[in-house]
Amino acid sequence: MRKTLLLFAAMHLPWGWSQATEIQVDKSQKNLVRFISDAPIEDFDGTTNEIDGYAIWEGNEPLQKSEIYLEVDLASIDTGIGLRNRHMREHYLETDKYPRAEYSGKLTKAEKQSDTVYKVATEGKMTIHGVENPFAAEGTVTVDGMLFRVQVSFPIKLSDYKIKIPKIMFYKIDETMDLQLNFYLRQTKEQ
Amino acid sequence: MRKTVWVGMIWLMGTTAVLAQGSQARWKRSSAGSTSDLQLFHSTQVANLYTAETLQQSDILFEISHRFFPPVSDGGDALFGLDGPVNMRLGLGYALSNRILVTLARANVNDNVDLWVKYKALQIRSSFLPMIIALQAGGAWNTQKYFGRDRGDSRNFQYYGQVIANTLIAKKLGIGITPTYLQNTQIFSTDTENSFTLGAYAQYYISFGYAVFVEWNPTISGPRYQYNSFTAGFELETGGHFFKFILTNNPYINPSQFQAGADVPFDSDNWRLGFNITRLLKLKTGQ
Repeated sequence: MRKTLLLFAAMHLPWGWSQATEIQVDKSQKNLVRFISDAPIEDFDGTTNEIDGYAIWEGNEPLQKSEIYLEVDLASIDTGIGLRNRHMREHYLETDKYPRAEYSGKLTKAEKQSDTVYKVATEGKMTIHGVENPFAAEGTVTVDGMLFRVQVSFPIKLSDYKIKIPKIMFYKIDETMDLQLNFYLRQTKEQ
Repeated sequence: MRKTVWVGMIWLMGTTAVLAQGSQARWKRSSAGSTSDLQLFHSTQVANLYTAETLQQSDILFEISHRFFPPVSDGGDALFGLDGPVNMRLGLGYALSNRILVTLARANVNDNVDLWVKYKALQIRSSFLPMIIALQAGGAWNTQKYFGRDRGDSRNFQYYGQVIANTLIAKKLGIGITPTYLQNTQIFSTDTENSFTLGAYAQYYISFGYAVFVEWNPTISGPRYQYNSFTAGFELETGGHFFKFILTNNPYINPSQFQAGADVPFDSDNWRLGFNITRLLKLKTGQ
């Protein structure tokens, strides 16, 4: 009888989220998603604070079982110039049809660099403009009590997501955009 | 007993299997849509009348506008009025926040120095009829020295306030009304008198960067120069710049002077040419 119960416990643990830690994007912090584009005449960047989502992992082994979901409201991206914003929303990102960029994946690396800083990596799927692609990125997580600051940057190739290369007035911008994310997640109460 | 344990086990394993498949996260999307400010018209003004739009915090808007005094009907010898003389305005706007825009400008007519503040007060999100209501208040000081009157004479000051209501139909047709109260309409009249006007305008966005517009500014009560003002024009937007080319019967540009009315009727003998050019300057990029 005792054996059976132990067997059950052993089978149970790796499957469930018995002691999950969940962190959610803290919208009261200064979150920033920044798109940087090289263009022959002038570089420009677009920014938004509208990032949301969560990460959840089990116990002390976040690499074994984790889930990350992040989304960015693309209609809120501001390039500083109204005409460019409208052009981007209506002709290229088509935010009426595809309002959000969505990423879901899992944690694949978490190396401790110091008491509070971790080097992390994630793998999963990115959906932008209605097109899904495999995606991987590395970044830094700085832990301050219940607050987790994430800094990550990566390139996005526009053609991978069937986004036409914006021709901003008379010149074209680069096919690859650099993204820089700097945002905060706050731990919710233990489950 | 053994049976109970087995049943319990199967139940628990079933539960954990379900949990393992679905997400356990308690996160929920916090807002349905974008919380960024609504924007209907592309520019902060049509030609002479203002829209409910403001700028992004810490943006600067530089403006240079001309109204050519001789009418187009003077013909080629006067280059259709472009030879001048010309009424001109130089302005500099600054966005204190995403919803508050302050502008300081000077027009050469009576050396009119004008300062106004606009506040984007109310935004109604609707896919059918989105609306923005803004409040604008300003004061003008006519600083030119005239015989028998000090620069600081109270009659050299004019004040105005207006409500601006905008909507945009099908992302193409912008419509606005702007009831305006102007104090001390005519600075040289015997008594201080005030006017009430009911400005209205429509702007049609033809395609990327191109638009046409009309403005009408009837005086409802109080003194008026001679005629109600009517303006029609074409707008070219190039990302940071607006070029507005206009035909109008009103040769004045600063609000306290424009609101006082036009000196000639709007007919083909009296059309005057004019333009506004604005340039947006970004102090801050990114954050």
